[in-house]
Amino acid sequence: MAISRKQRESRSFLVFAKNHVFVTIFGVVVPVVLFLCLIGYPIVYTIYLSFFEWNGMAPVKKFVGLANYAYLTGDKYFYVALFNNLKWLVVSLIFPVTLGFLIAYAMRLRVVYFPSFLRTAVFFPVTMSLIAVGLMFLLILNPIFGAFDTLLRSLGLGFLVREWFGDFHIALYTLTVISGWAFTGLPMIFYFAGLGDVPKETIDAARIEGAGHFRMITGVALPQLRPVTAVVVMLTLFESFKAFDLVAVLTKGAPFGTTNVLGYLVYLESFWNSRFGYGATLSVAILVLSVALAALLLATVLKGAFRE
Amino acid sequence: MSEVALARPRNRKRFHLRNVGPKLVATLLALALAAVFLGPMYLVVITSIKSNKDFLAGPFALPSGVTFEPYRQVWQELHFGDLVGNSLLYASTGAALAVLLALVPAFALSRFDLPGKAVLFGIFLTGLMLPQQTVLIPLYATLRTLHLLDSKIGLIIVHGIYGMPAQILILRGFMTAIPSEIEKAARIEGATDFEVFWKVILPLSVPGIIVGYSLNFIAIWKEFVFGLVFLNHEANFPVTVGMLKLNSDRYMSVFNLPAAGLVISQIPIVILFILCYRKLTSGNFVGAVKG
Repeated sequence: MAISRKQRESRSFLVFAKNHVFVTIFGVVVPVVLFLCLIGYPIVYTIYLSFFEWNGMAPVKKFVGLANYAYLTGDKYFYVALFNNLKWLVVSLIFPVTLGFLIAYAMRLRVVYFPSFLRTAVFFPVTMSLIAVGLMFLLILNPIFGAFDTLLRSLGLGFLVREWFGDFHIALYTLTVISGWAFTGLPMIFYFAGLGDVPKETIDAARIEGAGHFRMITGVALPQLRPVTAVVVMLTLFESFKAFDLVAVLTKGAPFGTTNVLGYLVYLESFWNSRFGYGATLSVAILVLSVALAALLLATVLKGAFRE
Repeated sequence: MSEVALARPRNRKRFHLRNVGPKLVATLLALALAAVFLGPMYLVVITSIKSNKDFLAGPFALPSGVTFEPYRQVWQELHFGDLVGNSLLYASTGAALAVLLALVPAFALSRFDLPGKAVLFGIFLTGLMLPQQTVLIPLYATLRTLHLLDSKIGLIIVHGIYGMPAQILILRGFMTAIPSEIEKAARIEGATDFEVFWKVILPLSVPGIIVGYSLNFIAIWKEFVFGLVFLNHEANFPVTVGMLKLNSDRYMSVFNLPAAGLVISQIPIVILFILCYRKLTSGNFVGAVKG
């Protein structure tokens, strides 16, 4: 931007570094070195460790080759956790992301009065720690004193009452819905900002042509918001694979390991079972699977969204 | 909006009247939705000021009087003073470190035609998406080697460096939006890179710095995994780790205690939220991520 054409032609980093010492040192070298030490090196070390057996204390790590990976392919807890992460992702895309979009749309197109009230209400849970959120729903979903079951019963819907955290058919979905409750504000803010960038003329033109909300959303808003959707989906994907806090505070994987997620399994295997090598193998699996899924989505459904 | 209204007042009014019905219905729906998000928080606050006797009257019953006894009890027994103090320390210094480290990289990525820009950008994006669990084991080992395990400084450094990638993206977005004419004027007067950064870009980036700092502050306040794994002594625990104790038979028998603990853990963020509300919910920072 501020560089003369001559410098722009010489694309060598060294030439740039010579002319911009301050920017090079504090803008490139320092952050990259810090990044490599505390983020890059740990990733590489995790991959290295996944080929070893180590209890975290012994001075010598035992090289076992691909044994940890062989074990992984037959580990039924791994598959349960992996599918739980995928369910987590699907529920997150259906509930908080869709709801966040609809709220943002309702606010931007003034479908409702007092739009900022709704925005505040929905965004506030984003600022809460998931530990606090988890404890809160532990109180609300309590089978004896909980507000939710009380409410259902007083509405004559008592037959819907379940052991929200104890029934292995639904415990995971309870967690994902709680997670969605706390997450909705984030996609909402992204879509709210994104809709602000849609030219007003486009929206007015569609309105004059008599487009209802359904046409407005499918024909105008969503196509214009493809880049935002790409960011939101990526964010949701990585958040789903990061899931940990709610499991740790609410179920600890119970009942019968049916609410285990990969992130929690890494923690259990490494820090409780002292199988750091296998924990590292699971970590590598998380990394590879989430990146592969992200690449797959970007190559198919979200193709070209980042370039628009 | 207002210009349109002035130009075609009649048209606008007719449009308005015809839509009042559906808009009211939609507003009622929105209020119901807001209740879904605010209801749980309302219930927790109400429960936290109930006496044990009032608690037994049911979750929706209003308390017969206000008591702060649950607050006093959890505050003392769980050492909430220390927990909140620790979390404030981690969040304020960790976020400051992250912003400080991110300022010049954001300047470099936004105002220069840096060779290898895409590579640099990709590296920082990786840091943003990385699930924390994948680096827990080596980070644990590294911190142990450096004697920074179970230490406040160790956790602050980790938070600062892990916050840096997001801060670079956010600040880059804000700095890109600064018109290049201002920078050119300074360049013509012979300003060096540092002077441009210090006297032009930095002062104009203050709104971005506030947004980035607040978001990082909240993120560290919410953080749980690092605190859980890297700390052993309760004296070092942040709120998120310390309040896990609330989830025990000792405190879960009467809900006013855990509810009071929950409210305490959220108060500093409520204050921050009120102070920065407009900036945080306007979605300004989103532009940074859209690239």
